[in-house]
Amino acid sequence: MKKKPINFVISGLGGQGILFMTKILARTALHKGFKVMGAETHGMAQRGGSVVSHLRLGDVKSSLVKAGAADFLLALEENEAYRNLPFLAEQSLLCSNKSSGNFPVPEVEGYLSNASIACHSIKAGSLAFELGAPMSTNLALLGYFSTLDRCPFTLQELRTTIEAMSPAAYKEINLKVFDKGARES
Amino acid sequence: MNEDFLLGNGAIALGLLEAGCQVVTSYPGTPSSEILPEVVRLKKADNLKTYVEWSTNEKVALDNAFAAAITGKRTACCMKQVGLNVAADSLMSAAYLGTVGGMVIISCDDPGPHSSQTEQDTRLMARLAKVPVLDPATPQEAREMAGIAFDISETFGIPVILRPAIRVCHARQNMKWSALTDHPAKALFKKDPMRWAATPKFRFRLHQELNRKLKNISRHFDSLQPFNGHNLEPGKHYPLGVISGGVPYAVIQDILSDAGRDDIPLLKLGAPYPLPQNLADEFVAACDKVLVIEETDTVIEYLLRDRSKVLGRLSEDVPLEGELVPERIEHIISQVLSGMRLLPLNIQAARDVEDLVAGLDLPIRRPTLCPGCSHRSAFYTIRKTRPKAIFTSDIGCYTLGLNLGAVDTCLDMGAGITMASGLYHAHAQDEVQQPIVATIGDSTFYHSGTAGLLSAVYNDARFVLVVLDNLTTAMTGMQPTPGLGIRADGSQGKTIPLERVIKGCGIDFLEVLDPYDIKGMRQTLKQAFDYTKKPDGGIAVIIARHPCIIAYREQAVANRIKVTISDDCIACNHCIERFECPALYHDPVREKTGIDQALCIGCGVCLDVCPKGAIIEMNIK
Repeated sequence: MKKKPINFVISGLGGQGILFMTKILARTALHKGFKVMGAETHGMAQRGGSVVSHLRLGDVKSSLVKAGAADFLLALEENEAYRNLPFLAEQSLLCSNKSSGNFPVPEVEGYLSNASIACHSIKAGSLAFELGAPMSTNLALLGYFSTLDRCPFTLQELRTTIEAMSPAAYKEINLKVFDKGARES
Repeated sequence: MNEDFLLGNGAIALGLLEAGCQVVTSYPGTPSSEILPEVVRLKKADNLKTYVEWSTNEKVALDNAFAAAITGKRTACCMKQVGLNVAADSLMSAAYLGTVGGMVIISCDDPGPHSSQTEQDTRLMARLAKVPVLDPATPQEAREMAGIAFDISETFGIPVILRPAIRVCHARQNMKWSALTDHPAKALFKKDPMRWAATPKFRFRLHQELNRKLKNISRHFDSLQPFNGHNLEPGKHYPLGVISGGVPYAVIQDILSDAGRDDIPLLKLGAPYPLPQNLADEFVAACDKVLVIEETDTVIEYLLRDRSKVLGRLSEDVPLEGELVPERIEHIISQVLSGMRLLPLNIQAARDVEDLVAGLDLPIRRPTLCPGCSHRSAFYTIRKTRPKAIFTSDIGCYTLGLNLGAVDTCLDMGAGITMASGLYHAHAQDEVQQPIVATIGDSTFYHSGTAGLLSAVYNDARFVLVVLDNLTTAMTGMQPTPGLGIRADGSQGKTIPLERVIKGCGIDFLEVLDPYDIKGMRQTLKQAFDYTKKPDGGIAVIIARHPCIIAYREQAVANRIKVTISDDCIACNHCIERFECPALYHDPVREKTGIDQALCIGCGVCLDVCPKGAIIEMNIK
């Protein structure tokens, strides 16, 4: 019997850096020796629309995560977290950016607990904004995600990838936002 | 050894160069746009001599690649599936003539559709043109197929189509590769007018030859491992088998393997046309029924000889439209199994969560022009000046002028102009003076604007044409245009300004302006409309020129203006609905419009939009 793959769905809005976030996770996984398949959104949808990317670690043929089969949903915006709930498997994990104190709404909370889906959220957007990097919500969320027990990567592994992948001018601020996210746990 | 987590389009570029492809031409279009830039990146890394060009359109790209191929070189042209429609004239004829060097036509499909006007299936175009087609399931397979496509092309003397679907183009997979080297072939054109300039009499013979080639390729495809093949156990008979290829094949492999269903055999047709008849017959004979799951049309399904056994779209077991995502495929297979009283797949009902999400009333996120986009101010002004005009438009970011009520039609590349002409004549015949404003982007104008404009001028159509010139091909990822003169490899070519082309089309009224200036543009638009009504007037053309906010960040907004909303705002929503800038929102606390300072780029164009003058410049402290 082959080992079960690890399925990620990453969602947000065009311009929030979904592709960069996916690449960080993918490279970290590659370093750990996983086989990796990813699927991205390009084109018209990038102009402010909903953007989703899929990432699959393990021995898989297709790049798409089946509805009900995601182990992790990382969302950069509340509504984009809700929109992609059907991807989550039972006993999976949702990790989302939130802007209000009202996340998740009660009906979603009920569903998540019925399906034994763990829900973690932080105000990653305002955290990044306070550090003067409003475009780095993705890294704040990733920092926070890295501290969760079920994250398949350690904080240091993700941090090393971010350091290696960030352009020189953004390296310091990117790591600062990531670290701040990690401290929010 | 190099290693990278390559995009499918990067894997295709790699496959082309590994096979020694010497010429690559393309016109951008999602999901194909990254292939040529990846070729450029790889070629520069290893100092290859590969010739690359952004052609003005797909037909130009195909003709160029074909010409180089008949000198004995290995060549490729890349486009999206609807681009192959533009190149169809060239393709049909090239199939008859055949090639000398290997020629690969890459046409990327968009089931969904995610970013296209149709869901058309390139494999049908291959069948129409009578050329072989390869259908990769993964980026790695696309890389390998790009290579063997050249071998097939040279062995049989025929262009070969590679049709990756969007889930291959925009998938990512890790790749390793060794240093790339140039192919040694030199251009050697052997004159043979009976072939290269064949008249109908010779075309008949070429057609015979083409049919012979197809027969031989079909036999070649019978044993084209690992792209064509099945997992039947010898002597065993099965109630149901599944036939697939391309992206759905990879999905089905995962589904059957996850479910542990090795009782369902699978025939893979990664090279579906010309159909490997013997291989297909062998598979069908071993099954009571075969279910064909293919994207997006019925190609394999029609080609199977034993019709009595085939399930698929014609039997209504597979939907006729839309992408075959994993959960959909799982449902299709399970339904068919149930229908045959076989053990279905164990599917967990997802109904409740879908109902839950539907009940949340989530905002519909339609794609929108960026904050600060000059198309927004152009569309706002056009609509404001002549709200009752018919607005014909075209393909690019600016199709999103829809959201501002300033785009009524979008047919195909170049139709902003040709539909304006057609609509003018339809009304003029009834002696109705219908104002019409056509919009078209700069890259689209170079692609297919001139033929329509020439015809419209020649036939005395009357309309206002606004060329939205943002100095790039924005929608597909900022490719340069002939107006800039920058070439695919970044070198400087010859610049051909829009003004020169438009005047050359016989236009006498031509104004160039910056659409950020709403008042100025309104005035020019009025003059333009007047000109279209004059007996000795004609088509009036305005070039609305402003750099794309994404491609030219700093330059695009020279003076950043901080705007705010004064107490005069009556929350009429005129700015939100008609100007539709993402930075404008309704602030329920203040009961007025608000400005999202994180999104606002400071273009200041909205200062001229509010009827109450409530959008104001923030006081400098």
